[in-house]
Amino acid sequence: MNNLTHFSHPYIANSEKDIEEMLAELGIKSIDELYSDIPEDIRFKGKLSLPHFESEFEVKKHVEELLNKNKSTRDYRSFLGGGVLDIYIPAAQDELLRRSEFYTAYTPYQPETSQGTLHTLFEYQSMICEILAMDTANCSMYDWASSLGEAALMTARITKKRNKFLYTAATAPNREAVLKNYTAGVKLELVKIPFDPKTGKMDTKKAIELMDENTAGIYFENPNYFGVIESDIEEVIKAAKEKGIVVVAGVDTSSLALIEAPGNYGVDIAIGDAQPIGAGPLNFGGPLAGVFAMKFDKKWTRQMPGRLVGITLTPEKGKWAFTNTLQTREQHIKRHRATSNICSNEALSAMSTAFHLALLGPEGYKENAESMYYNAHYLKDELEKAGFNTVYNSEFFNTFLLELKVPADQKDKFTKFMLDKKIYAGIPISTEDNKFYNYLITTSYLLKKKDLDDYIAALKEWRNA
Amino acid sequence: MYKQARFEEPLIFELGKKGRRAHLPPKTDVPPREITIPKNMRRKEPPELPEMHEGEVFRHYLRLSQMNYSVDTGIYPLGSCTMKYNPKINEALARNEKMMYLHPYQPEETIQGILEILYKLQKYLSEMAALPYGTIQPAAGAQGEYVGLNLIRAYHHDHGDFDRTEIITPDSSHGTNPASSVMNGFSVLEIKSNSDGQVDLEALKAAVSEKTAGFMITNPNTLGIFESQITEIAKIIHDAGGLLYYDGANFNAIAGKIRPGEMGFDVLHFNLHKSFSTPHGGGGPGAAAELCSERLAPYLPVPVVEYDEDKGRYYLNYDLPKSIGKVHGYYGNVAVALRAYAYICSLGPEGLLHTSEQAVLNANYIMRKLEKIDGLVLKYNRELPRKHECVLDATPLKHDIGVGAMDIAKMLISRGVHAPTVLFPLIVHEALMVEPTENENKESLDNYAKIITEEIEKAKKDPNYAFNAPYNTSIGRVDDAWATRNLILSWKMIKQLKTENKWPPEWPEEEH
Repeated sequence: MNNLTHFSHPYIANSEKDIEEMLAELGIKSIDELYSDIPEDIRFKGKLSLPHFESEFEVKKHVEELLNKNKSTRDYRSFLGGGVLDIYIPAAQDELLRRSEFYTAYTPYQPETSQGTLHTLFEYQSMICEILAMDTANCSMYDWASSLGEAALMTARITKKRNKFLYTAATAPNREAVLKNYTAGVKLELVKIPFDPKTGKMDTKKAIELMDENTAGIYFENPNYFGVIESDIEEVIKAAKEKGIVVVAGVDTSSLALIEAPGNYGVDIAIGDAQPIGAGPLNFGGPLAGVFAMKFDKKWTRQMPGRLVGITLTPEKGKWAFTNTLQTREQHIKRHRATSNICSNEALSAMSTAFHLALLGPEGYKENAESMYYNAHYLKDELEKAGFNTVYNSEFFNTFLLELKVPADQKDKFTKFMLDKKIYAGIPISTEDNKFYNYLITTSYLLKKKDLDDYIAALKEWRNA
Repeated sequence: MYKQARFEEPLIFELGKKGRRAHLPPKTDVPPREITIPKNMRRKEPPELPEMHEGEVFRHYLRLSQMNYSVDTGIYPLGSCTMKYNPKINEALARNEKMMYLHPYQPEETIQGILEILYKLQKYLSEMAALPYGTIQPAAGAQGEYVGLNLIRAYHHDHGDFDRTEIITPDSSHGTNPASSVMNGFSVLEIKSNSDGQVDLEALKAAVSEKTAGFMITNPNTLGIFESQITEIAKIIHDAGGLLYYDGANFNAIAGKIRPGEMGFDVLHFNLHKSFSTPHGGGGPGAAAELCSERLAPYLPVPVVEYDEDKGRYYLNYDLPKSIGKVHGYYGNVAVALRAYAYICSLGPEGLLHTSEQAVLNANYIMRKLEKIDGLVLKYNRELPRKHECVLDATPLKHDIGVGAMDIAKMLISRGVHAPTVLFPLIVHEALMVEPTENENKESLDNYAKIITEEIEKAKKDPNYAFNAPYNTSIGRVDDAWATRNLILSWKMIKQLKTENKWPPEWPEEEH
């Protein structure tokens, strides 16, 4: 076993003298004796091959050197979306995130000494409910994709013996992949609803045809993955309700100042990601914060995954407070009968969302949505004037699919061409025959007219080359 | 005397006034235009959000932060949670613009730095695990377990073995273990621990069969006891055709001392927010790394980060035909992984070894003090040294004066220290699960033991003192049953109660 002489390190509390005293009190000669129960043959006797930097300065320098090999969305103009959004984090928000009373705490298992976390999470749940027009929201899932997986499982729990889940083909492929994974073990059958190739909207007739007495839930995204607003779904929702099918919608949380809230058009469970409304910056796709909200129903609430903060009473008359509630659904108590295995969630990202929305207020929230809407529509109009087409001719918010038809063998060249213009061109989407790529374009509120004009000019140059 | 801050802070919705603003977002200079969203999909009622000025928002949340206990406030020895210090350099690095503002779908040539970090982090963790392949896609420990079980299922199915439907786990295991198994469609066989607090080999032999898909265990286990028969356990499981899953929640005890792959494990997860110092964030985000042997590698979630030597470039490899697919929308909690990377760089191999040794020394040191307290006992073989945590049982105290583990927890938080994990593991009835971590020094441990001793003495003089605790915290003891009965979960529900004249809530008559 290793016998190291002591070294002092900023992350280790005891000094050599402390250690001597503690060993003496335990009546042992070395720390090794505390490992004496470990069989000799499984002890690791080598030295781990790991880097070590002598000082904080050198660690910083090393990591910064690596990060400097990246180009960020502050270096280049980004037209990338697909579920996450390039946002601005106000200085006040970041300052609150640095409060280590928040970020170095854990799940508030002792509510009396954790009111800060609980109160803030209750406000997060409340703001999510306001935005989605729902009654209850949990205090976060990992991301939109896992919210979808958990929502599908929940529809099966609510509807008992039903084992089929419908979802539209215009679901983001990364979320679809997670949905498939989450439903594979429990044998929930997934059935895809096609979309209209002209409008990009759900094929509502087909959706209704696919509903039967075995269908637990139906899922669609609004706007869908291609940016199209699903505005013809009244009949689908009506049919689902008649058949006792749970309606689940995935929404862009940053769009709901302009687009109707899911709670106002019959959706039972609304999911999405809180990243676009302040859970955090892009962070290369994580951490994010999965939104999970629904209409209030006592029985359904007991089937929800994740943690819930609720109001409670204290011994002091008139002083109500906050606590984690319905913990008996959770894994640490219910074990194999829990509604989900989730333990750690994305609490700080949820709190971050509350800070962000409190700073934005209703005006800021709306202005951001309008900026994105104006940017995307200006871009689309100008591109059409320049002779480019969109794939689907439907109403949209901040995202549309541009019919660029970049030949598959030219894709890398196109990427490079656009990078030379300091542009991330969008998400390439392969055509059905795999011969061409179209581009899914999203405009954040950080883009200005010049960025859009540069984008159009670059595409023209590409086309003419 | 300790006194936690208490502000009479209203809900943010009750603050502010129409027309106040706390932030001016960047507006586009593209001219406004008519919004042509179809009428049925146009929002009619705007959402109710607070209208305040910046200073008010800040003051509200700053006050809330002061009503919160944290690792940076004081000792936080939650067993199984490894509440170690979160180094500030890691926070600073995570705020680098070339970390924060990277879109997950940027072209590969613009993300070489972050891919290199992810690639190397996985290699370093592989080195500690002695399991060569992996991913950091799972967003938390429970999702790590879920992925590991996914891999086990995929492996059996790929080998035509569709009848392996059972996961075996000891009754001391984390609640996530059985819950993750069920989410994967497995049934769970829980086996009893023996008098040493370890897996009962005879019970294990009786439990394995041609249905055994795998076995999940943490080692050291949740009692802080090292499962010294792990090699025999591995043999029993492997002989039965099952695979071994290592729940890495307790890895802080053994980093650099023992490598799970060399104990016979096929797959594991590490909690980066436990063993590798990333913040717990009031409940998350955490992150997990999944590491596995060669035979499970083909099933890993996509994409995996790889290095192309010919091109000298890191890339995301989606070409794993047998992959289980995805469990996260993108690549996991990357900004958390960056912090863990910096932590490993800061400590190096020797520092990590010291970290484990100090965590273990601290746990044993405090255990020997706590077991002397009249009313607490150390269940299971008290001769055995514990590893990074220890579990005391307050059943004697409960039996004598009715004061249990939860009451002790409430007395402790009255004194400005955090409580241990209580009432877990379930096999110790009045469990106090103490994990000090290497972040506490001798004085801090002495003080913690002294506080527990004093508080239990007070309880013995007057049990009501314990039942009415906590004192000096922002609020007194909450009524969990009321919260469950009434389920008030949002401002929207409060508004509804107001219209029914049911808010604020009425206090029940004294019921004694």
